[in-house]
Amino acid sequence: MTTTGSRLGGWRVALRLARREAWRRRSQTLLMLFLICMPVVAVTAAAIVWRTADLSGPESVERRMGAAAALISPVGTDVDQQFDPDDGSSWGGEARALTAGRIRAVIGDRPMIPLRTTSSDFQTAHGVADTGLLEVDLHDPLAAGLFRLEAGHLPRTSDEVVVNPALVERGPGIGDLLVLGRKTADGPQPRALRIVGVADYAGSRSFEWAGVLPGALPVTPDDGPAEWLVGGGPVTWGDVRKLNGIGALVASRQVISDPPPESALSPDLRGQVQPVSQETITVLALVVAMVLLEVVLLAGPAFAVRARAQAHTLALVAASGGTPAQARRTVLASGVVVGALGGLFGVAWGIVVAVLAVPIAQTVDASWFGPFEVPWAMVAVVAAFGFASAVLAAVVPAFAASRQDAVAVLAGRRGEGRPSRRSPVVGLALIGVGIAGSFAGSRPGGGSSPLLVGSAAIISVVGMIFLVPVAIATVARLSARLPLPLRFAARDAARHRTRTVPAIAAVGATVAGVVALGIAVSSQADHDEKTYQPMLQLGYGVVDVPTDATPADVAQIEQILTKGLPDAPRQRVTGVVTDTDDYSLMVSFAQDGAEIQTSYWGVLGTGYVVADALPAYLGVGDDSRVVADRALAGGGIVLLHSQVSSAVPSGGQVTVTVGETPPGGGEVKTRATAAFSMVAAEIPGRAQPAAAVLSPVAAKRLHLPTATTAIAVLPTIDGAAAQRVDEELAATASHASLSVERGFQPSAETRIIKLVLAVLGAILMLGGTLTATFLALSDARPDLATMAAVGARPRTRRGVAAAYALVVGLVGALLGAPIGFIPGVAISGPLTHDFQTGATSLVIPWTLLGAVVLGLPLLTALVVGACARSRLPLVARID
Amino acid sequence: MSAVLQLTDVVRVHGEAPHQVQALRGVSFAAHPGELVAVMGPSGSGKSTLLTIAGGLDSPTSGAVTVEGVDLARLGQQGRARMRRTSIGYVFQGFNLIPALTAAENVALPRELDGVAPRQARAEARAALEEVGILDLADRFPDDMSGGQQQRVAIARAVIGERRLILADEPTGALDTETGEEILRLLRARCDAGAAGVLVTHEARHAAWADRVVFLRDGVVVDETGADRAEVLTEAAGR
Repeated sequence: MTTTGSRLGGWRVALRLARREAWRRRSQTLLMLFLICMPVVAVTAAAIVWRTADLSGPESVERRMGAAAALISPVGTDVDQQFDPDDGSSWGGEARALTAGRIRAVIGDRPMIPLRTTSSDFQTAHGVADTGLLEVDLHDPLAAGLFRLEAGHLPRTSDEVVVNPALVERGPGIGDLLVLGRKTADGPQPRALRIVGVADYAGSRSFEWAGVLPGALPVTPDDGPAEWLVGGGPVTWGDVRKLNGIGALVASRQVISDPPPESALSPDLRGQVQPVSQETITVLALVVAMVLLEVVLLAGPAFAVRARAQAHTLALVAASGGTPAQARRTVLASGVVVGALGGLFGVAWGIVVAVLAVPIAQTVDASWFGPFEVPWAMVAVVAAFGFASAVLAAVVPAFAASRQDAVAVLAGRRGEGRPSRRSPVVGLALIGVGIAGSFAGSRPGGGSSPLLVGSAAIISVVGMIFLVPVAIATVARLSARLPLPLRFAARDAARHRTRTVPAIAAVGATVAGVVALGIAVSSQADHDEKTYQPMLQLGYGVVDVPTDATPADVAQIEQILTKGLPDAPRQRVTGVVTDTDDYSLMVSFAQDGAEIQTSYWGVLGTGYVVADALPAYLGVGDDSRVVADRALAGGGIVLLHSQVSSAVPSGGQVTVTVGETPPGGGEVKTRATAAFSMVAAEIPGRAQPAAAVLSPVAAKRLHLPTATTAIAVLPTIDGAAAQRVDEELAATASHASLSVERGFQPSAETRIIKLVLAVLGAILMLGGTLTATFLALSDARPDLATMAAVGARPRTRRGVAAAYALVVGLVGALLGAPIGFIPGVAISGPLTHDFQTGATSLVIPWTLLGAVVLGLPLLTALVVGACARSRLPLVARID
Repeated sequence: MSAVLQLTDVVRVHGEAPHQVQALRGVSFAAHPGELVAVMGPSGSGKSTLLTIAGGLDSPTSGAVTVEGVDLARLGQQGRARMRRTSIGYVFQGFNLIPALTAAENVALPRELDGVAPRQARAEARAALEEVGILDLADRFPDDMSGGQQQRVAIARAVIGERRLILADEPTGALDTETGEEILRLLRARCDAGAAGVLVTHEARHAAWADRVVFLRDGVVVDETGADRAEVLTEAAGR
């Protein structure tokens, strides 16, 4: 008891000292708080925005069922569901409409209204667009909340419609007619409804939605059976199970808000709802570990400098009988005080940032956010993270303080002893473990584990930290011939390791991360480029024509092309229509009884082009062309092949068989078979755009339906014009689109990721370097005063500052870059593994590497040199 | 012979009225080549202020300070820094060596800062260290030296580059008697070789090494021994 009491007492004194010290050195404390707070602020704000945007079950209820007690959806037979059917359900058989009577037979006489969620296209000034459609009596109290009226009124009759603001943005407004196209079994039956109100639809913010009375529009075959909104008191889990029994899924307000124990679920569905997977938790743990490490390293120098400022006091305490533990506690208490403050301030600022960020996030999100919600448990964890990072950052300085040489400190000797000889051995061992782990985790051909690679990467970084003291000591030893500022910086850095090592390590860890991701991203991009196969000649374009397009649709597409690309010659692609709503056709080729493997995927809207001469858009070389044209003219066929497809026989007789399957799949029925003379034509340097070219005679003999499946546009298509045409095509009823072959285009993502990496690296490096440099400068004040006294120019201080930044940045980057290679090289294997050839890509982004390892430290040094005050402390130590 | 250091009616006021403190109130004195002047006085008499003003680290509120005929007030920060690199050497009570630099590098510091090639600066430093008798310690760091050795390094740093004015602020304060005497002997020798020295001290026995003793009290010269006052006054008037 006494021991505990005295220990607590010891802490009390230590904390009081730390509190006073924090106030006395306010600007230093602010720096520490800033470093500790930043991640806390960011994560807190992100957590709040995420939680506010995320609709947990109960919050989503109103959006789904308005004011009703439950939403009942008929789906079929053998229905089984989770408490919230959106979390999981299973059923079999065909959905049958459920009558109100059958439902009432199960749950008693309750108020019920039908509701149907479907979609429709509507006419805009420019063409056709899609809208969601809700058919329900919006005046019924059960439907309250589904549409929140902003202007006008809700539809009262079958020829009225309410629309949401997203639809109004497309053109039509209150008083206008909204022409909804409905394709019923009896053909298109467009309906014009008067827009009588504008209302926010609860289910979506940025997509177009319209609300009409049930029966206002003809039912189409695509519409599912109507659902039911049910009122009249809570629908219990028992009711839900009974309704499942008659083939309906039920979203019940009461069950979702207050679910029964999991044992109430049917055994098959139990344990399926896992809020977070094990893997996600591990990944999260890795990320948290890495961020914690980075924060601890960034904040470490500040704590080291504070501990050193207290060194004299601690030495006096030691001289008067203080124990090492007391010294340690005094320094750790700084971490406790700053960590507690940092956690609290961080959370407070995080909430403020979130309050500002939620409305901004809402403007870019498609769905409505819930009420502002602070996930307190998560925020508490984040605050604890801030606290832990500060305490951890104080640990090393605390131990260093407890082991300091009191005599040396009292004699005014600054600096620390030699670095430990063991630490580089430990460091190299850890890096060895990291390398082994990385490569074990990335064996090509399966068995790769990103988690193992990630853990190994962190182990390597920790190993690197153990190498920093030796590295900086070596640099200091080698600095004898360097110019004065650099020599001073290198030696001073080596003499104050508790301050310099974490800063260098922070830079190193950042660079390692940037290099690893840079290698992974570049290798991935290289892999993509290598495996890219153009389908058309460069600059050629093709407009796909949907199978259900009418001749008028095709004419409209051609009109748009003529207008948008007046100079580009084009060619209609006539091809076999293989897929319709009624059947799917499979065309196979065989020679001497052996089936010929052909590719059947292409960009021409068909696998089988029908033509009496080889069309230009195929890009077949002139040497094959003559033979091929002759074959087609003779009623034969041409099989296309390329380097990437399997070889085909060069010619001879082939048997073509056309098989037919019903749309849902099922047995293949042979529809026609015939023999033809065939020649093969190679598409040079590209993937083939179709499998074969059939002569019209051959197509006819095989009873193959043909149509315009695409329109080829011959070179050369200007990018901007192509985009305009594509936009116009998208607005047509057939939703055609133009794609242009431009060869491999590195995705914008890759470039953005690299840029983000460089910027993030720069920020972290600048942060680490700036802290270390300015702390070093404040530490070096007496030395700078001495330099002033012996005649240093004012700019010497700038030189020293820049040299400091250069030493910290360069040593960190040079140590970190090789560490980044370990996971970078390891992960690029499985990332770029080609399953066909087994080849992998490894690309070292030298430019990024050079920028990060040399460019950034130099830039940082320049920035620091420019920012540093040039005034030297003058009379600091004269008297 | 013209004075290396000449202070004329130097006044230095710290702070603003009504809390202002007059550290120096019209001090005039000179130090000539080959002369070691001791400045004595009780604590707070303005000794150290006098030295910082003489070295151009601080500027007088009024009055003139010339070093080797150059008026320090007319030089900017840069110019005064150059003077400290080339004409004025400082020796401090606390040695003020830079712990991250070796003895030779500390001595070479003013030369390196002056733009002299490192190799030459180092050679000069070794010569200066030899002069003060510790050439064998050239590559040691200050933390590995005794107080006396450190102060010898500091003196070597103060004289390197043929500087003709040495300002020493209680250079023996942190040393034992014997070592202190050694240091003063070195200073004396340097002055005998042609430099002018100003030694701030509060120990009367150190004054024995000086050619002249100036007594300061409350910022004014209250007495001066061993000097021809007339000469000082004529020189001041002649300017």
